[in-house]
Amino acid sequence: MAEKFDNLEEHLEKFIENIRQMGIIVSDFQPSSQTGLNQKLNFMITGLQDVEKCRQQLNDIHVPLEAFEYIDQGRNPQLYTKECLERALAKNEQVKGKIDTMTKFKSLLITELGKVFPEEMAKYKAIHGDDPPS
Amino acid sequence: MTEIFSTLFGQSEAQGPQGPGTLGFAPGKPPPLPQTQAPAPPQIPAQPGDEGPAARKPGVMNEPFYLLRELPAGNDLTGNTNLITHYNLEHAYNKFCGKKVKEKLSNFLPELPGMIDCPGVQDGSSLRSLIEKPPVCGNSFSPLTGALLTGFRLHTGPLPEQYRLMHIQPPKKKSKHKHRHHRPQDPIPPETPSDTDPKKKKKKRDDDPERKKKKKDKKKKKNRHSPDHPGITGSQPNSNSLR
Repeated sequence: MAEKFDNLEEHLEKFIENIRQMGIIVSDFQPSSQTGLNQKLNFMITGLQDVEKCRQQLNDIHVPLEAFEYIDQGRNPQLYTKECLERALAKNEQVKGKIDTMTKFKSLLITELGKVFPEEMAKYKAIHGDDPPS
Repeated sequence: MTEIFSTLFGQSEAQGPQGPGTLGFAPGKPPPLPQTQAPAPPQIPAQPGDEGPAARKPGVMNEPFYLLRELPAGNDLTGNTNLITHYNLEHAYNKFCGKKVKEKLSNFLPELPGMIDCPGVQDGSSLRSLIEKPPVCGNSFSPLTGALLTGFRLHTGPLPEQYRLMHIQPPKKKSKHKHRHHRPQDPIPPETPSDTDPKKKKKKRDDDPERKKKKKDKKKKKNRHSPDHPGITGSQPNSNSLR
């Protein structure tokens, strides 16, 4: 799994380096640089071909669109992962609190109903048994 | 429908409260169903061909309690368990939430050239625009022939100024510069010759555009030559010290 990403990363780094060197050549162009520029252009095309070959290996990889928004804003996409984990933990704690509250309510309700309707609650417990505390 | 409800609750009212109703409503025993009523829930009309509502909801009328159903099968995984430990994400949690994650994109991709911390909308390089307007795909990439390469013949000389800064990253050393300027300023009293220092520093700040151009030229030279020449940056004491 990691090999697929390493392969793509390597191709992308070479591609970006090639583009950077083209930018340097173009920033102060000289006639003798023309052949080098042509070579870099063809390297760019082969780089795109290599990246496209990697595409088939990564068809099953899905990236959430919210991560793209972080990148478009110039922010670290690891912040998205961090916020996802924090939200998941907060929601987990919230639901756990609800479960604990409902469990306490159930036990209190059964206790009080047992005081008011003892016969009916005995039948209820006979049917459902003593519900274990969740 | 209303006649059925009135018969149910009307009989309870006729009987009257049999004992002290601690909860303040309905007596302890449920109201008995009228004998004339069929043993079926009133809401569900009997349809031809059905075995009856009892078969549809087996738990309903077999119990002494109306509408008492079986409890749903309990799921092993609920919010009661710590899902982060359940899915073995403790390491990821400590990595991302335990330490401070840097804000900028350049901290995530330090080797990427260019000004990547700016929003992509400004220069049309956003990923959102790529998704909304995908480029034309399907054609294979073919190398450029000689005839096509003639389109890439360029004029000699430097780029126009508006295009010069595109490949250069902004200097990341500004924050350290500010700290270093503030540190000597705070403890120095105003009567000392440090009065001339802010003037000098103001002059330095006035000369910043020129300094920026010099820095850019030096960076261009760095990119052309190998990066193992400290002599090029030796003229700038700040860059040396920051290294």
